[in-house]
Amino acid sequence: MKPRMTLRWIVFAIAAFVMNFPVLATLITAFKPPGEVARNPSLWIEAPTLQNFAAVLTVSDRLNVYHYLWNSTFAALIGAVLPMVVALPLAWAMVRRGVGRGVLFPLVVNLRALPLIIFAIPLYMMYSVVGLLDTRLGLGLILAVVNLPLTVMLLVNAVAEIPAEIEEAAHMDGARLPRLLFKVVLPLCRPALITTFIFGFITAWNEFLFGLMLTTRDAVPVTVGASFFFATSGGGVQWGMAAAVMVVAALPPLVLGLVMYRRITGSMVAGAVKG
Amino acid sequence: MARLRIENLTKRFASQTVTQDVSLQVEDGAFCVLVGPSGCGKSTLLRLIAGLEQADSGRILVDGRDLTHVPAYDRDLAMVFQSYALYPHMSVRDNIAFALRTARRPEPEVAAKVAEAARVLQLEPYLDRKPAQLSGGQRQRVAIGRAIVKAPKLFLLDEPLSNLDAELRVHMRVEIARLHKDLGATIVYVTHDQVEAMTLATKIVVLRDGRIEQAGSPLELYDNPDTLFVAGFIGSPKMNFLAARSRGGHLMLPECSGQMIRCPDLRSALADGAGVTVGLRPQVLGRTGDQSLEGMIEIVEHFGSASLVHARPDGSARLLTALVDNGRDLASGQRFEARFRTEDLLVFDQAGQRIR
Repeated sequence: MKPRMTLRWIVFAIAAFVMNFPVLATLITAFKPPGEVARNPSLWIEAPTLQNFAAVLTVSDRLNVYHYLWNSTFAALIGAVLPMVVALPLAWAMVRRGVGRGVLFPLVVNLRALPLIIFAIPLYMMYSVVGLLDTRLGLGLILAVVNLPLTVMLLVNAVAEIPAEIEEAAHMDGARLPRLLFKVVLPLCRPALITTFIFGFITAWNEFLFGLMLTTRDAVPVTVGASFFFATSGGGVQWGMAAAVMVVAALPPLVLGLVMYRRITGSMVAGAVKG
Repeated sequence: MARLRIENLTKRFASQTVTQDVSLQVEDGAFCVLVGPSGCGKSTLLRLIAGLEQADSGRILVDGRDLTHVPAYDRDLAMVFQSYALYPHMSVRDNIAFALRTARRPEPEVAAKVAEAARVLQLEPYLDRKPAQLSGGQRQRVAIGRAIVKAPKLFLLDEPLSNLDAELRVHMRVEIARLHKDLGATIVYVTHDQVEAMTLATKIVVLRDGRIEQAGSPLELYDNPDTLFVAGFIGSPKMNFLAARSRGGHLMLPECSGQMIRCPDLRSALADGAGVTVGLRPQVLGRTGDQSLEGMIEIVEHFGSASLVHARPDGSARLLTALVDNGRDLASGQRFEARFRTEDLLVFDQAGQRIR
């Protein structure tokens, strides 16, 4: 028993190391001084330094990481919350009234199957007409569209899990549709809403294509902004700085994921035994 | 407190008619039990009254007001669901208060009414708990509390006791009877359990295939069933049925090696040779009476106060049950003479209609 457990742990450790190697390499590179990055490819840091982070966090004329972070936060919030606002009533109407169950639901869900680049050209032209190019709102709106399929799917399942009798009981208690939705359906979907928010926020935060295409200066998200740091001082890629800005950019969704992790798993269980 | 009147109500799901031309009157303060086997349309009838289903034709009136096309949330009725259907995210207090808050009653009034309901239902210690933290019986009481706090015109209960264990069911049955007495409310109650129907109802409506088979007081239905179906459904243990053939004022039982019994005073319509079904309640079979059936005892269940005898009439494939008061000496393998009085004999024609 004991040697088998040890073996198991060794295998786990190797697998974890291999799979997380890119993350580890980036993390370690971020703490190496510029000279060492070129010379020492190992995971061992000879002279640990915070100078890469200092450089990243220093505001210059051309680069402002706080601005990118703020743009990302704003756009990702719109991209995560707006689909929920739209999809919850939609999910209710689909489940209880059968609205769009036959065509709309599969269509919306299949939106996910389309490569996003398909939207690029028409969207760019539309945005330039309505003045949404290089705005946080514009970026958030398209991220909301990206998140809509998953949101609809999760919320349709959540509403379908609510026993119809609970809604009927609310009707018998005199509740009309708005009160039913706000006081009964919404709270009962809360676990699903939290899950949706986390997934939506992380997806929106990590989105690169539309950030690159639809923004130039004012609304650049951190995924795109991070790439600006690669060649900050003219010649050659500053690997240390690049690694540091990637770590900074990855932190917010990572923290969100860790903080909310319990709620994601908790909500799955709560969904299973509810009712 | 209300009078319910249902006129020619019909409801179809797809091609299936689940409620067919049902007319019914429930008096103010009555406890009306809709009873029947599963699929007889009793729950659908209740949901039609509640407004959770829309009737295809017919009318529903409460105190003379036509509710047929009024949505459920405007009917001012209360319903207790089989699954209780409590709001899982709300405390017991909020569950009970929900209807009052929906009606925008002032908060002091809400608090007072919730407290009163909690007192009546002995829910005071649980007011701040969530439904998931309650036992089945407690959840049931919350569901009832949610109904009574509205002081509705009409209470609708859909098999409220079917999810409880046997002991709790008896207890809650008494509780519901007491509530009915205390509130003086009009209740429509659905169950498939005829014992519940017999003990609670002031009026029983037996449904079968979406139609009313017979409606009346429990004892009326017990003593005087109109049809074979009602006779078989009401009463526990179940009534014994024997195939018979009329022969010169007697009934010959071909399944019981041709034993003959004297016929009660039936109308002369009973033609010679007509096939009928004879019904005898286990309670009327015993050791006294002017007629008898003979057979062999297969099993005796001694309850202490009485004994349930399962006897096989000579030549019969079916067992006859008799509830005998003084049957402690009876044992399987003995000969048994099941005696009964002629007037306790019920006779049904081939279509299952009672011949009187």
